[in-house]
Amino acid sequence: MYALLAIGFTMVYGILELINFAHFNVFMIGSFLGLWALEALGLSGQSQVLTGLDLVGALAFAFAVAMLGSGVLGVAIERIALRPLRGIPGTTGMITTIGVSYILFNIILLGAGAESKNYPNPMPPVRWDISGAVVDLREVLIWAITLALMAGLQLFVSRTRLGKAMRATAQDSEAARMMGVDVDRVIVAAFFLGSALAGAAALIFGLYYNYTSFLIGYSAGLRAFTAAVLGGIGSVPGAMVGGVIIGLIETLGGQLIAVRWTDVIIFSILVLVLVFAPTGLFGRASPTKS
Amino acid sequence: MAPGKRVLPSLGDATTARLRTLGVSLLLATAVLFPPLINNDGNVDAAANALSFAALALGLNIVVGFAGLLDLGYAAFFAIGAYTYGALASWQLHPAWSDFWAPFAFLDLVARVRGVGGDVVHFQVSFWLMMPLAAAIAAFFGILFGAPTLRLKGDYLAIVTLGFGEIVPIVARNSPSLTNGAQGLNGVIPPQIFGYSFGVSATPYYYVGLTLVVFLMFASQRFKFSRVGRAWMAIREDEIAAAAMGVNRVKFKLLAFAIGASFAGATGTLYVAKLQTATPEMFMFPVSVMLLVMIVFGGMGNVWGVVVGALILQILQSWFLQDLSGWINALGRLVDVEWLQHVQLASSIELIFGLILVFMMLYRRQGLIPASRRVAALTTEEQTALPTRGGFDNLQGLGALDDSRTGPLLEIKNLTVRFGGLVALHSVSLSMPAHSVLAVIGPNGSGKSTLFNAVTGLVAANEGSIRFAGEEIAGRSPHVVLERGIARTFQNLRLFPNLTVLENVLIGMHARLHAGAVKALLRLPRTQREEHEARERAMEILAVFGNRLIPRVDHVVSSLSYANRRRCEIARALASRPKLLLLDEPTAGMNPAETLELADQIKSLNRRGLSIVLIEHKLDVVVNLAERVIVLDHGEKIAEGTPAEVRQNEEVIRAYLGRSAAFA
Repeated sequence: MYALLAIGFTMVYGILELINFAHFNVFMIGSFLGLWALEALGLSGQSQVLTGLDLVGALAFAFAVAMLGSGVLGVAIERIALRPLRGIPGTTGMITTIGVSYILFNIILLGAGAESKNYPNPMPPVRWDISGAVVDLREVLIWAITLALMAGLQLFVSRTRLGKAMRATAQDSEAARMMGVDVDRVIVAAFFLGSALAGAAALIFGLYYNYTSFLIGYSAGLRAFTAAVLGGIGSVPGAMVGGVIIGLIETLGGQLIAVRWTDVIIFSILVLVLVFAPTGLFGRASPTKS
Repeated sequence: MAPGKRVLPSLGDATTARLRTLGVSLLLATAVLFPPLINNDGNVDAAANALSFAALALGLNIVVGFAGLLDLGYAAFFAIGAYTYGALASWQLHPAWSDFWAPFAFLDLVARVRGVGGDVVHFQVSFWLMMPLAAAIAAFFGILFGAPTLRLKGDYLAIVTLGFGEIVPIVARNSPSLTNGAQGLNGVIPPQIFGYSFGVSATPYYYVGLTLVVFLMFASQRFKFSRVGRAWMAIREDEIAAAAMGVNRVKFKLLAFAIGASFAGATGTLYVAKLQTATPEMFMFPVSVMLLVMIVFGGMGNVWGVVVGALILQILQSWFLQDLSGWINALGRLVDVEWLQHVQLASSIELIFGLILVFMMLYRRQGLIPASRRVAALTTEEQTALPTRGGFDNLQGLGALDDSRTGPLLEIKNLTVRFGGLVALHSVSLSMPAHSVLAVIGPNGSGKSTLFNAVTGLVAANEGSIRFAGEEIAGRSPHVVLERGIARTFQNLRLFPNLTVLENVLIGMHARLHAGAVKALLRLPRTQREEHEARERAMEILAVFGNRLIPRVDHVVSSLSYANRRRCEIARALASRPKLLLLDEPTAGMNPAETLELADQIKSLNRRGLSIVLIEHKLDVVVNLAERVIVLDHGEKIAEGTPAEVRQNEEVIRAYLGRSAAFA
């Protein structure tokens, strides 16, 4: 999940060299979109369970809504708030994304209320016992969906024309533009894909933790950002690996030390990676001044 | 025009100065009379809070507005200041009494309390002592948090500061022994003065806050118009150029962090004393963002703008939003629209903050009160005046070389620079005597600019030595190289675009001036004299270019013509009193007449004893100026000699002009 969210940061950063704080709350809104989609199907609470095609259909619908909605939101943010500022150096773009993030955050806070919402979980509580390790259907599904999305993204970036254009733009947008790449379109595509994956991650978050609230964007976003940095900002496979590592650290750190220190651990990783190994595990571009 | 006349141009003429003094006095008088006039403790309380936030915004402005370091965890320093006072002036810590505490008790810092809890120490350090102490502690943490982030680009810096801003409240919440955790400190002692306790009335805090804000504004202004402020702004505008002009980036960034943090530390003391409690929630991310909104709203880098922005937003929050919500609700009842009747603007303050940030960024980036100053347009005469040629022959104050030393001024041996697999310079050696002009030519990508970058410390040499005046300078930081006496210009111009011509030249003098933060704050006669002399010298250097730059000293550099920017960059380099000047394509983009003019000026510089290395594509300029020429191709030196010799060299012709080109 963090991996999916981290990809969004990495894609936008790879192309625009911009840290998109709005991404945090695109994720949060994605989880609400997924929630509303499931509720629209008449699902609520933990008791209603679907099986077979009904389950697949419901999940597909929820993912479609969350991903499309988030993707469109990401594109809208780019068009309205960021495109006019492109090319202006310094911190302008980042400050704007903080502003956008705040707006999204408060729209949900004011519109949907401050209390956390119960997430429907339509998946049947099927469990398998594989030589002592208990795996339940929900986890298997979540992993399968995550891997499928990542594989799809990897295929898209490496095989399609637009994917190639994206990689070219990330390397050198000026040169890409001269070679006939429509850079605007590439940027829009990056925002759409990154945001759509954030939407998927958000729905997974909701299905896994069974709740959502206006607050989830911030902490999940920072963890995902740490994952992106750890993996090497700008690198899509790096973001995936970083996301898995952060997920593990969060779980283990919570068990070994104390949950209340988890945030401190994760931030410390962020700071340490940035200071001592700024290119991360797979990064090309260094975040230090050239 | 006599240069002396415009020596202190940015301070304006006498009438505006008097008007400004009058305006400031009126404002101050209003502020002082505010509590008795308003006579409402709630409103005074709101005003006192607003002043606290104005003080914080001023501190953040030093870091973000002046030095351009986006700090998203600024509230951490506020927290540190607050908890420092909170812990040392409350019942939170109460170690058992021992004789160790006796001297502190004598100084009235602690008291011995025998009571239900046994024989314990009660910390009661005076507020007035704690304010500077908390500022110092916060400054220490500013350096601590700043140090690891220095190498990072702006956006990463923001993230790391965000991380620290998050960690500090979490640590506070998870360390109940020191901070009482999430419940918050209580029983913080209110300040006392001459035996009068401030208690819970807002008015005394208001006055302390007002004094603090006035002092911090004063300090900010002093910093801004000093060597320190210029160094910060140079870093903000172009870090690499700042380093090449002698600004020690590490030192000045840390200084910005420390000073910014100290403002927050002092304010934290006041804030906690006023509330008499402190909880971790008071210092979370939203506070940092709110402060950012304030300075963005008011105008980054503008001291008055920042204070006005902070006050407006605070007062908006505490007074107007309630009323405004009431009006909107009334309107809703009037027109019978359901949702208008329930609008609560106060709870949507963060939404408003977000909107302010986005709108300011999209439509008014310079803020409510822009930092840039108005400049009188040039008169028609000034615009149409015939260019006069200056000349460096009368110029005083260029660095004099120690002539007793013999041997080459610059000696490079086997210099190799690699970028990954690419060898940009391969075992290049050269030697130039003092007072000479050396030209470096070669096709694009042959390593000329890399040579300059290696000499000035902007790229690291992989092998070889660079000796300047007998001293090894390979591996030195750019600012050290400049201090030793090598100044440079850049091929693509690296001026500080939003600063004026005069400010650019003054930054060039950075390494030759001395005023640090304390001196800038005190502005003693000696510092004033230094500043005055620096400005005179800057005008003198600018006068070299005749009437090209002098009428434009107060214009921001980005408004200059291309040729004038080149001139300005040379003036900036000269301001550092170099012994060796590296000019990277100084005549690029100039027309033939301008090229001739500049070549003459460079020649007169050399006559004054300055040694010059020149990268140049225009061969007539090279022939005219240089005594010796070296030719680079693919990172290797392929020829060296007098211009005439190099002209005849077959290999040069092939490399430089192409195989089939005839040498005209």
